[in-house]
Amino acid sequence: MYAIISIVSFLILWAIGVHYSEIKIVMPGPWEVIKEFVDSFINPVGRHTMPLHILYSLMRVVPAYLVGSVFGIVLGILMGWFRPVNSIFRPIYELIRPIPPIAWIPISIVWFGIGEGSKWFLIFLAAFVPVTLNSISGAKSVDPLLIKCGQMLGASKKYIFKSIVLPFSVPYIFSGLQVGLAGSWATVVAAEMIRSTEGVGWIIISSMDTNDVTQSLVGIMGIGIVGFLLATIMRKVEDKLCAWTRREV
Amino acid sequence: MLLSLVSVMAFIGIWYFFTAVLKVVPSNTLPDPVKVFTSFIKKFYTENPDGATLLEHTAASLQVALTGYFYALVIGIPLGIMMAWNKYVDRFVRPLFDLLKPIPGVAWIPLMIVIFGLGIASKAAVVFFSAVVPCVLNSYTGIKQTRDVHIWVARTFGATNPQKLFTIAIPTALPHILTGVRVALGAAWVAIVAAELLGATRGLGFMIQQSRGIYRTDIIIVGMLAIGICGGILTTILTFIANALLKGRR
Repeated sequence: MYAIISIVSFLILWAIGVHYSEIKIVMPGPWEVIKEFVDSFINPVGRHTMPLHILYSLMRVVPAYLVGSVFGIVLGILMGWFRPVNSIFRPIYELIRPIPPIAWIPISIVWFGIGEGSKWFLIFLAAFVPVTLNSISGAKSVDPLLIKCGQMLGASKKYIFKSIVLPFSVPYIFSGLQVGLAGSWATVVAAEMIRSTEGVGWIIISSMDTNDVTQSLVGIMGIGIVGFLLATIMRKVEDKLCAWTRREV
Repeated sequence: MLLSLVSVMAFIGIWYFFTAVLKVVPSNTLPDPVKVFTSFIKKFYTENPDGATLLEHTAASLQVALTGYFYALVIGIPLGIMMAWNKYVDRFVRPLFDLLKPIPGVAWIPLMIVIFGLGIASKAAVVFFSAVVPCVLNSYTGIKQTRDVHIWVARTFGATNPQKLFTIAIPTALPHILTGVRVALGAAWVAIVAAELLGATRGLGFMIQQSRGIYRTDIIIVGMLAIGICGGILTTILTFIANALLKGRR
């Protein structure tokens, strides 16, 4: 209810702002954008309609995200739990961590060409980095009391790892997965900057070439809505799977 | 510590072995580490091939990043605090915020060019959009974690609403807010590469972009390293400041 009021009043402000200032030369009003957005579901933008563009982008994001997450979880848990693994991979990881995916574009083109490979690589990085970080902190923050209990009751190292460390890390891993998903979806624009003929990112990139602000706002809307839905789905999954831990925040 | 050292050595060693000794890949695909290192040093005093030295690029990037970052702090932190403190503000702003949050900074580029032109303003705006999100989120969480008991005590002693906010809620939230400030700096620094894709003539992102055009992979890697190192330094400085501010509060 409040959400509707809030969004509608934002749109009205936008409409007034555009209508009564010089910016209307370059900036379309909200109604035009919404009309164009709805229209994009029926009439193609570029080669495809909006749902297809979203599908293409998701086909780039989802596989790379999954691979990146799996790598991140495995490496993160191992780094958090086994000190030698940590000391081996930590320096290399710390070097890669602060470099934004978008800075990898040139080098990923040189390495993987301008096809899907380089796009997957960028999204892989966007997922891998935060998931690893959260998995590390998950495995590191296991309550020592629980481990001591396990040891006292005669659990083997393997057993402690499997039934104390792993379950304890799950909420942390999930917050990493959440951040990673948002990051991967955000990176799709950068990835589709490489060269593409379809995808939500392409809508924005190509609008830059044609100076079509309406189209780029339509693309922004598409990205925003899909990103919002992805985050919501992920949160629902987390609530289901980690029902035993109610994390604050 | 020793293992870390060995690991880095091994990493560089393998890199060197495959590129310089075996020559598995051509050097313009992946240059060997020695070449990257010499390019890194050379870039400090030569302007080739992109018209500025490494320090000039870094300074240009810093200027853009810090401008956007500053606005993100000034707008983001009060907004987050207001959202957490006043439920009407929350109800009103949250839906909009949730919708704008998943939109990456890069996506704003075309719009920002149209509105702000090609100067520093449009780049700073892109940085702003990336940096403002963590500011708002962390300030919000921080304020929300104020203990009810503290608020009740204040109410019992007849504190006014602003008093409750400024003497209880904000000090409680300070560690969280400072975390947000730190995360936002990271985000701002990351966003400059995106921001400099739009008509820059200076800056680390620009340098990478230019080197890509002329196939100088070594300079690309130098640029990436420089971004990584600067990001690391900035975060360390902020962590240091945050720890000084929070002394005795933990």
